[in-house]
Amino acid sequence: MALGLTIVYGVTHIFNFGHGIVAVSGGYFTWLFMHKLGLGLIPAMAVAMAVMFVIGLILYQATLRPLLKTENWEFSVIIFLLGLGILWENLLLQFFGPRVKDIPRFFDGRFKLGFVRINYHEIALIAIVILFVIALNYFIKKTWFGQAMRAVAQDMDGARIVGINLKKTFGFAFALATAVTGFSGVLLATKYYMTPHIGWDWMVKGFVIVVFGGLGSVTGAICAAFILGLAEAVITLYLGPMWVWPIWFFMFLIILLIRPQGLMGGRTL
Amino acid sequence: MTRHSANEAILDIRGLDCFYGELQVLRQASLTIPKGEVVALFGPNGHGKSTLLKAISGLNPLRDGSIFFDGADITRTPSDRIVEMGLAYIPEARNIFTEMTVLENLRLGAYNRRARPKVDENLELVFSLFQRLDERKNQMAVTLSGGESRMLAVGRGLMSDAKLLLIDEPSIGLSPLMKKTVFGAINRIKKTTDISILVVEQEVDYALAVADRILLLKKGEVIMERMAGEISKAEIEKGYF
Repeated sequence: MALGLTIVYGVTHIFNFGHGIVAVSGGYFTWLFMHKLGLGLIPAMAVAMAVMFVIGLILYQATLRPLLKTENWEFSVIIFLLGLGILWENLLLQFFGPRVKDIPRFFDGRFKLGFVRINYHEIALIAIVILFVIALNYFIKKTWFGQAMRAVAQDMDGARIVGINLKKTFGFAFALATAVTGFSGVLLATKYYMTPHIGWDWMVKGFVIVVFGGLGSVTGAICAAFILGLAEAVITLYLGPMWVWPIWFFMFLIILLIRPQGLMGGRTL
Repeated sequence: MTRHSANEAILDIRGLDCFYGELQVLRQASLTIPKGEVVALFGPNGHGKSTLLKAISGLNPLRDGSIFFDGADITRTPSDRIVEMGLAYIPEARNIFTEMTVLENLRLGAYNRRARPKVDENLELVFSLFQRLDERKNQMAVTLSGGESRMLAVGRGLMSDAKLLLIDEPSIGLSPLMKKTVFGAINRIKKTTDISILVVEQEVDYALAVADRILLLKKGEVIMERMAGEISKAEIEKGYF
């Protein structure tokens, strides 16, 4: 979730307010493919990600690319994505209805470690996220396209000078982020549940994590997610879940007071 | 030195007009660079030298005129295609990727499809010109000194497997020793490769030492062209005023 936000922001310096709904779409597409086409969880996810990637590309070509030519395009794009997110959310609501949907877990069952019980599913989630981060990191650091994304993030003029096509790179980064975000949505939906509106909750959480870690920094986002996740667990255990948000935002404010750029802000991809 | 005919030109520019908003920066600028030559472009600040280089590389929009590179019309070609065709621009601002290593910067210089298979060969050339870059290849570019990042900018341009380099004020802000190193490298490029070079420069002495041909740009127009032997430093400096 946070990683998708970071990729788009890191490359284009655009904050996508339609982000939560993109994640939810990933979940809904997976659900759709599982129930209507009878696919298993993993194939359904794979198809959903491919669909999300293509939707990201089409969306970029059809709507964002013309917008990029206008003056103050950063602002137009932010408002446009917010509007599109709201429209899409309501389409999902029409199509799937407001009732809670969930996606099955990867593994059932749990084991005991001392006094804590751990689900196999959560172990699988952690493993998937770690593998995913490693793969993404490899892609960004070792492939031509990943390097081009970094180059655009660091110096747009420099990127054009070495012969990188800015529009193509923007489009690809947008599509990749759409797929990554959709993927995160599926993972979240296996652990919790989803409704068409839950995207906003996820997005606010993702937003806090991304800003906490420093906008545009992948490493920062991962550290922030770890810190805030740990805090959430501790707070829920000792004070109860209703304290999670107040304390999160308190930590958030403290960090922003000390380091306005976030934990690792100011650096790029 | 023999005069080349027009079809042996690596770059041929006719009647270029370029505007920043309402302000006209280039007025009917025309020039020709014969294959294999080093051409030095002099002129006062603010008279359109950098704008000309950016216009050639497709980074600045044109109002009028035509640009032919190696026989092909590139007047309306997007910048990434121009790089792929073998025309590399090395900006005065350097524009290196500061949060990457020196090696990553150089590899990105070879981003275009034509240069990718030649990465190793061109790396060897760059490291033979600038040993300093070889020593620092795993350092972050942000840690380089001004002179070293200038070397990196030139090296990155060479990595694109260019036929023509456009170098914008390579000596600006450098110590005399660094200026010598950078121009020494330009001289080696001239002697050991068949790459043509258009260099914009304020340091007349350094540029005269390597240039085959001298151009003077004033008020957005090329007002003088001479072979390097036919003109003295004093004459060039007179042209500034």
